Amino acid sequence: MTNSIREIRDADCILITGSNTAESHPVIGYEVVRAARRGAHVIIIDPRRIPMVDHATLFLQVKPGTDIYVFLAIMHAIIREGWADEAFIAERTEGFDDFKAAVEQYTPEYASLMSGVPVEQIEAAARIYALGERDAGDSSYDDARGRSTILYAMGITQRSNGTDMVMTLANLAMLCGHIGKRSTGVNPLRGQSNVQGACDVGCLVNVFPGYQSVTDAGAREALAQAWAADGLPGNVGLTIVEAMHAASEGKVRAVYVMGENPMMSDPNTTHVERALRGLDLLVVQDIFPSDTAYLAHVILPAAAALEKDGTITNTERRVQVLQPVLAAPGTAIPDWQIISQLAARLDAKMARERDADYWHYDSASAIFTELARVTPIYGGMNYNRLRGEGLQWPCRTVDHPGTPILHVDKFSRGRGKFHPIAAHDPAEQPDEDYPLVLTTGRVLYHYHTGTMTRRSEPLAWREPRGYIEINAEDAERVSLEDGHAVVVKSRRGTVRTRAKISDRVPPGTVFLAFHWREAAANILTQDFALDPIAKIPEYKVCAVRVENPRA
Amino acid sequence: MDSPSGEPHMLNIVIDGHAIQVQPGTTIMEAARAIRIEIPHLCYHPELSISGGCRLCVVEIEGRADPVPSCGQACQEGMVIRTQSEQLTELRREIVDLLMADHPLDCVICEKAGKCQLQKYAYEYGLAKTSHKAHVSRTLYQDDNPFFIRDHKYCILCSRCVRACWEIVGANAIEIFGRGFTSHVATPFDGPMIDSTCVFCGSCVQVCPTAALMPVSRAGKGREWEMQRVETICGYCGVGCKIEYALKDGAITYAQGAREESVNGDFLCTKGRYGWDFATSPDRLTRPMIRRDVAYALGLTDEPWQLPETSPLEVRKPKISDSFIETDWDTALNLVADKLADIVQSHGHDAVMGLASARCTNEENYLFQKFMRVGVGTNNVDHCARL
Ligand code: SF4
Ligand code: SF4
Ligand code: SF4
Ligand code: FES
Repeated sequence: MTNSIREIRDADCILITGSNTAESHPVIGYEVVRAARRGAHVIIIDPRRIPMVDHATLFLQVKPGTDIYVFLAIMHAIIREGWADEAFIAERTEGFDDFKAAVEQYTPEYASLMSGVPVEQIEAAARIYALGERDAGDSSYDDARGRSTILYAMGITQRSNGTDMVMTLANLAMLCGHIGKRSTGVNPLRGQSNVQGACDVGCLVNVFPGYQSVTDAGAREALAQAWAADGLPGNVGLTIVEAMHAASEGKVRAVYVMGENPMMSDPNTTHVERALRGLDLLVVQDIFPSDTAYLAHVILPAAAALEKDGTITNTERRVQVLQPVLAAPGTAIPDWQIISQLAARLDAKMARERDADYWHYDSASAIFTELARVTPIYGGMNYNRLRGEGLQWPCRTVDHPGTPILHVDKFSRGRGKFHPIAAHDPAEQPDEDYPLVLTTGRVLYHYHTGTMTRRSEPLAWREPRGYIEINAEDAERVSLEDGHAVVVKSRRGTVRTRAKISDRVPPGTVFLAFHWREAAANILTQDFALDPIAKIPEYKVCAVRVENPRA
Repeated sequence: MDSPSGEPHMLNIVIDGHAIQVQPGTTIMEAARAIRIEIPHLCYHPELSISGGCRLCVVEIEGRADPVPSCGQACQEGMVIRTQSEQLTELRREIVDLLMADHPLDCVICEKAGKCQLQKYAYEYGLAKTSHKAHVSRTLYQDDNPFFIRDHKYCILCSRCVRACWEIVGANAIEIFGRGFTSHVATPFDGPMIDSTCVFCGSCVQVCPTAALMPVSRAGKGREWEMQRVETICGYCGVGCKIEYALKDGAITYAQGAREESVNGDFLCTKGRYGWDFATSPDRLTRPMIRRDVAYALGLTDEPWQLPETSPLEVRKPKISDSFIETDWDTALNLVADKLADIVQSHGHDAVMGLASARCTNEENYLFQKFMRVGVGTNNVDHCARL
């Protein structure tokens, strides 16, 4: 997030898109509810009538994958009506003219035709967001222009044009100057407890800790020196989905999985399973025997988050300290201890000459000390400083207070750059054989691939099994009734589940969460069209058909 | 000024002899709290709207004949306020006395004892029992869900739960229904929680000052003062809520939002507040394991075995011991190191892929990518950020 969670309650207008906030980030949802109760406008742009719509003042229900037209039209309207923040554009940004030319063709009328959203709604959203209008009550701020903030999540990024979508939201915020101040910004809500941190510390194919590029020779050399390593690989590595393809071609022979469950979380499960089965070595380090673990050669038992020391970084870039609440069961140990022991053994097998204690750390905090030394954005942090409310990065020096709001006086690159974006449609469109659009996501009571929450008694009581949400109109076409068994097919595979007839989805769209191993949504999703830059699979749109097994 | 309600002019007031400046709109309650003067209160909660129902927070304002509730009274220029006096103590004692007339007073067996706000004020005003005719008017007991129990006899109708549900959670599941002696907190038509719009976040439970709303998980598990408390960060979503776990004999009895220095305050979602019992599930992996075919090849078992063709996802309840044998750490780690070394030596560094975890700590992910980059020698290290 560019801004902090607790600023949301003071916003005048909150635009939520591609985020099922109330179910996937409930406590951020509470911030939105507080703002709405005080009279803030809440605009939702989403294919599904998600629970947060109950608190919205404006709901733009788009056909899946067509929201890009709506955003381009919103910006078209803002420029046309003179609602843009000219001063901000002149002082803080560049590339406006090219961008302006690019949105010229995307009139609200055109967007309405593509997305199914009425023109008046698009124009109202444009005005309310741009001017930061309130529905009622007084603003917490005394600016001439109200404060608008954007919240988004995987509904934006898990798309074949996800990078375009993210840049579009940045364009929108810059266009109206809604960035760099409290209660504004462009705020991605990260799904898992430490996605942010895993990225920050370099668990990405193209960057070292602190987002230093692996192709930058200088960064490589400096890090190699800090790590007392002979050299570091300089080619960009393979992402998960690419690695699965490489594995089926025999190029990748070993996969080491620490606490993930690709059999359920990765797109096109059938293909993932084939790739994993063909490996010479699959190691799974986890707290439960996941469906991926069943294919492993070796399983290593790890301690759970509740049993650990260490830090995690939340979606507002806040680094916070964990404390062990429970003892780990049996001989399970924290993941860092497993890695440190394994790394030393691998060195021995490969006859590498390194200090005997090269991989030895006394504690999680000793690792953090090293991490902070090589990760500039964490440079000023240590465990003592992190106790209490933690620190938000960037925090480069020990006297830096942390950064609750990014881009206050300037952008990290100096001037903010407008990126001209053109609309692209999802890679897989519905057709005669597969007439419905499937979109995947989460439900409130479960988390990710369900290995933890489905073993929680109260949560499993409330939501014991999976279902596909389907509109009454589509259900009727195959004579499905609420609670009926249903077969869902895509070009990749078939799952069986139950129908939940619901007006949360519009006709033509169905929704299936990916928590259910007996109805694993990713058997259906596609892995051929990745976003060209972020390499994110298009989980949010693929074509399916539903069948009634009794018919 | 770039802060909420950054108004230029401040008001001068005096509370219990302390002259202070406050922003316009500040209530007397808030002004007092800011200088750590605690005014007794039951219905007031800093994160919720003002109810003004209990009147325990009355204070004296110079120049006014009657005491006024401080939680709803905005400060005015020049106000001189007294939060303690004999008259105020008398008024407050009478309020608590009346509440106690409609409350079981079975503190000796009550699990809220030690944390109950009514008990706290009864103690402060020296009330062992009520001076009125005791009659508990609400008797409904509802244990219709595995999250929390609603035991209405303890309810003092402060409406904190209702306000939390409407103002913070936005679920609008409960309201105060009825009037006088029949009034109580209820879902529409007193139905079970699951038929309401409740999202089982337990926010109502945390703000309840009495034992009217209690977590199921702690029933019979001990008293407040027996619990050990540990704070950590929720392991589920990226909000990063701070949670305080109450433990007895090493086992979690309940969880609640850690109010201080947290993004969440008193509020959590259902997963954070109630979804911790997985940690002690019998399914947990406790020892390293080697797949049976690999173990056979290594001579660790005499039974030959083959990985079945059917996908694990097709097996309703797979059993891990059918496919794996348990082993010790040395054997398991040496096996992995051996195989990794072989693969790197015969197929190159980039034949290895590492999947880090968005659920592991920064330290673990850091070490993992260092292991992949320095130990194995590849940038094939990714995690679920994209998924
Ligand atoms: S658990 Fe949450 S949603 Fe349910 S009644 Fe309590 S506050 Fe409302
Ligand atoms: S249930 Fe608790 S919070 Fe709700 S009105 Fe009764 S005493 Fe107050
Ligand atoms: S309590 Fe809920 S909202 Fe908070 S971090 Fe945990 S899962 Fe996320
Ligand atoms: S606390 Fe002020 S009236 Fe109850």
